[in-house]
Formats: sequence, C-alpha cells, structure tokens
Amino acid sequence: MSDFRRFLVKRVAIAMMLTVVSVSIIFVVLRLLPGTPFEALITAGNLSEKQVQEIMATYGLNQPIWKQYLSYLQSLLTFQFGYSILRSRPVWDILAPKLVNTLVLLVPALLTTAILSSLLGMYVGWNRGTTTEKTSIIGTTFLRSTPVFITAILLLMVFSYQLNLVPAFGMRSITASPKGYYQTFASLDFLHHYILPFSIAVLYYSGDFLLLARNGVIEKRGSEFLKLHKAKGLSEYEQLARAGRNSMLPILTYFALRLGMIFQGLILLEVVFAWPGIGRALVLAIQQQDYPLVQAAVFIMALAVIIANLLADVLYAYFDPTVSTSGGGAA
Amino acid sequence: MSTESKNGAVLFERVNAIRSAIAEQFAFLRQDRLAFAGAIILVVFVFLGLFGPMLAPHDPIEYDVTASDGSVMRLAEPNARALFGTTAYGKDVFSQFLAGARPTLIVGLVGGVLTGLIGFLIGLVSGYYGGWVDEVLMRFTDLTFSLPFMPMALLLLTFITSNIWVITAVIAAFLWKMPARVVRSEVLSVRERTFVKSARASGASNLRTMFLHVAPNVLPIGFLYTAYGVAWAISAQASLAFLGFGDPTMTSWGRMLRMVFDSGSIRFAWWWVLPPALSIAAVTTSVFLVGRAYEEVINPEIQTNQ
Repeated sequence: MSDFRRFLVKRVAIAMMLTVVSVSIIFVVLRLLPGTPFEALITAGNLSEKQVQEIMATYGLNQPIWKQYLSYLQSLLTFQFGYSILRSRPVWDILAPKLVNTLVLLVPALLTTAILSSLLGMYVGWNRGTTTEKTSIIGTTFLRSTPVFITAILLLMVFSYQLNLVPAFGMRSITASPKGYYQTFASLDFLHHYILPFSIAVLYYSGDFLLLARNGVIEKRGSEFLKLHKAKGLSEYEQLARAGRNSMLPILTYFALRLGMIFQGLILLEVVFAWPGIGRALVLAIQQQDYPLVQAAVFIMALAVIIANLLADVLYAYFDPTVSTSGGGAA
Repeated sequence: MSTESKNGAVLFERVNAIRSAIAEQFAFLRQDRLAFAGAIILVVFVFLGLFGPMLAPHDPIEYDVTASDGSVMRLAEPNARALFGTTAYGKDVFSQFLAGARPTLIVGLVGGVLTGLIGFLIGLVSGYYGGWVDEVLMRFTDLTFSLPFMPMALLLLTFITSNIWVITAVIAAFLWKMPARVVRSEVLSVRERTFVKSARASGASNLRTMFLHVAPNVLPIGFLYTAYGVAWAISAQASLAFLGFGDPTMTSWGRMLRMVFDSGSIRFAWWWVLPPALSIAAVTTSVFLVGRAYEEVINPEIQTNQ
C-alpha cells in the first residue's frame, strides 16, 4: 500500500470514529435535557396515562437506555431521523427543504467570495503598502471580526428600512406560493429577497480569503523561484500569476473547511433575515424542544464539518508533496 | 548591602523593566496608526467595562424615563432626559449601554485568556512530546472541531441555567482548538532547533526543556491567539445573547440588540440599535487590528521585501 493510500485509510477511519463519538455526545446532551414536549402535555392534563405510554412507545422512549442508544446510532447513520414531535412529519421531510435553502444562499456566496477576494488579496499582496491594500485590509478586518448579525442589522437598517430597496425578511413574498424548487428559486421575487443576505455572506467571508491570498503572495514574493522568473523576463502580471498559483493550496483547503462550517456559521444571518434555512430551523426546534429535529440538524452540521476536514486534509496531502503523508496530517 | 535594599533594587529593576517594556509596546503601536486607534478603543472599552455600571445615571432595567408630565417616555429619540433616547419599554438606552459593557468585557477577557491558555498548553504538550500523546490530543482537538460550536452551545445553554460564567466556560471549551493547532505547529519547528537539542543533551528534564526552552519561543503566537480569543469570545457572547441565550440577569450589548429586534422597533429606533451594535463591532475589530500589527512582527515570512 502506498504512503498516500495508507494515509487516506487512516484519515477515513478517524473521520468515522469522530462521527460516532460526536453523535454519542449529542445523544448524551439530549438525554440530559430536562423536560420534553410530552411533559408539557401531561402536566396540562390533556393526555391520559395510557396515551402517554403509547406515545412513549412510538418514540421508543420506554426502552432501556442502551437500546435507545443503539437504535439512535443506527437511525442517524442510515439518515432515518424519525418523526418530528411537534409536527408529526418525518424529520427529513422538514429538514431537506431547509437544507436546500441554506445551500442556495451560502454556496454561491462562498464561491463568489473565494474567487473575488482571493484575486483581490493576491493583487494587494503584490502591491504592498498601497492605499488599496490598506483600505481593503481595514474593510475586511471589520467585516470578518464583527459578528455577522451586527453587519446584517446595520445593512438591513440602511437598505431595507431607510432606503426601502429590499425586503427585510423571508425568502419569498408572503403571498407567493411557489411549487417545486424551480418556481421557488427562479423568480425576481426570490432574487429581491436574496440579494441582501447573499451580499452580507459574501462580505463576511471575504476577509479570511483576502488575507490568506495576500500573505501567500507576500511570502512567495521574495522567494527564489520568482527571482528566476523575473530573470527570465516575465512581466509583473505573469510573475504574480505564478506566485498566486503557488499560494492556491491554503486557499483551497480553507475553502473546504468553510464549506463544512456552512450550516452552522451563519445561523444568525438566517435568524436576522428569517431565512427558512437549517440554522433557523435548529434555533426554533431548540426553543420548542423538538428533539428529533434538533438531533438531526446538529448531526448534519457535525457530519458536514467532519467530511470537510477529511477533504481538506486529503487535498493538502495530495497536492503538497512536502507534507509527510505518514503522520501529522492534521497540522 | 542589606538584604532589604537589595530586594528594593531588584524590585526597582523589575518595575523599570516593565515600564520600558510598556514604553516599547507603546512606541511600536504608535507606528501603526490603525493598531494605535484600535488600542485606544480597547482602553476605552476596558474602562467602560470596569466603571460603566457605576457611571450609568439610572438603573438599566428598573428605572422608567418619564416626560415632564409624568408619563413614561417610550421610544423617544435622544433628548435632554435620556441622552441616547429610550427603549420601547421606557428604559434609558444610555444607562443600558453603560451597564452592558461589563458582561461583554468579562466574557471577552476571561473567555479569551482561558482559550489562549488551554490552547497553548495543549499545543505545547502535543507538539513537544509527539507520538501517542500528540495523536490523542490532536484527535481530541479534531473532536471539538467536529462538534459545531453554535448548535452545541445553544443545546448546552438550554439545560444549564445560563449565566456569564457558564457562557464563558462553554466558549473556552470550544475555542481552544484554534490556538492549540497553531502553537503545536510552531512547537514542532522550535523542537528541532539546536538550543533545544543541546538542552536535552545536557540532561534537562522534559518539563524543564518544554517550559524553559520551547515555551518562550512560542509565547508570542500564544499571546496573539489569546487576543484573537478575546474577539471570538465577545462575538460568541453577543451572538448567543442575541439569540436569547444570554445571562438573563445582566444587561449586555447583545441582549439590547435582541430587545430591539424582538420589539420590532429596529425599523426606526436607530438610537437604540447603534450604541450596542457599533460598540461590539468597534471592539472586535480593534482586537484584530492590534493583533495584526503584532502578527507582522511574529511571522517573519510576511515581513520580507517590504
């Protein structure tokens, strides 16, 4: 087995272990939570003792804890998330469209930022000390360090409340009743609701990519291989292109990591804009103590991170021959 | 020389050393205008955190601002009776703003320092010992990476009664992973240097080598990530408070924003939104501006060919 393949097998095994451990931790935390929606119904006297037993049996809550744990593991790992307690619908039916809504908002935003702000970062890194560099650094430092809900509130005040240019919440007008994904997303009404949260996500993500690209280019700038290119008579932009290409790897791996954090990173953005995504669904489910929904949402978020981490590690090891594949891939 | 005056001289020397170190930092920050502005904002913020609640003219929650005819003033723009205007519940925004600085400061400082400290120790031990110690600690870090912060914090805070210390602990428990990884990779390179190897060869114990020879060389990056930890902690605290998972007994900037947002007054009550919103933004940005100035010093690769 080659070094790389051994590394790959090891990383995949670790990722699987991590999944099981994270899932177990979520299980424990959820069991520790006091009160269930049933309790509220029981204390309100709406249910008889017999009805309660029946409901507990349906949700498997009357079984010994280890049995519950095993069936929990099995159900999550097969993506059978059970029924939502409050809405009596399969959890997956509720979450799937929310997941799509989140992805529709954040994947294009992340891609846009990754491309635009990396290019800008490379440019300002090459032209160090210019006003453009300083301005872009202040701007992106502000955007990436300020909590996203504050940026969202500030821009909302300007563009929605003062200028009345864009709607302040939701994904479609209240009166719109689209059927299917095509009707939902391919409309001017959607675009109108989309533009502000999308822009805020782009701005929020921009800082890290810009700085990563800038630092990469600055590091490469003094290096030997660029001196060689310069001696060969390449123009400034050709040199920058070479330096940029050589600092792509950290940007690529960072992109993978960000992609993994996509569901959890902007929960607050979804809350501020009442965007019907998975983050907002999670917050609502926690408030309503709808545990099956909560555990499914947290599981999806954790799984995304684990897969993205795996992907980033593998990308790095595959593309950078100087990284030892035999160990320490996490560095 | 008597022992007392000797002690006095030592003390004097120490004080002098500290003073010149501070002067040096000051001179360094003066060069970078952005970092200097950031530092000033941070000083103001610490002052507000320490004395804000005492300076507040009224109780942030109990006191109702009243107009001259005795009626409660609700959603009033800034005026002589309420410097920053009033909330939808007739409370003084200025007092809430002053009182709200404290939890932000506490969670930020304590959370940041804990984050930096735990991360530093884990990174140091992991990188220095290597082998199975490294493997175990790094898998543990991976685990905290895979447990998403926000959802887990929300879950935990629903069943632990929320107060600022619990929030601080939750934040530190999830954020130490960042400094741990960076410190570890620094330690890996320091470990291979000659002076560390000769210390080992001349018989220094592992602990001694680790803390006396390796640690000082990674301390700067540890401090830098502690500073970033402060900004992350402030941001996380404000976000949690905004979602309604803050300390219910304390007025904080995040909680003020939740109140405006929930009351729906956010559409027009700019005087209620801007003080907490801009303050949080200013503080977190300042930490990063100061941190960046130091990062340029710490990371020699970025300095080349200025």
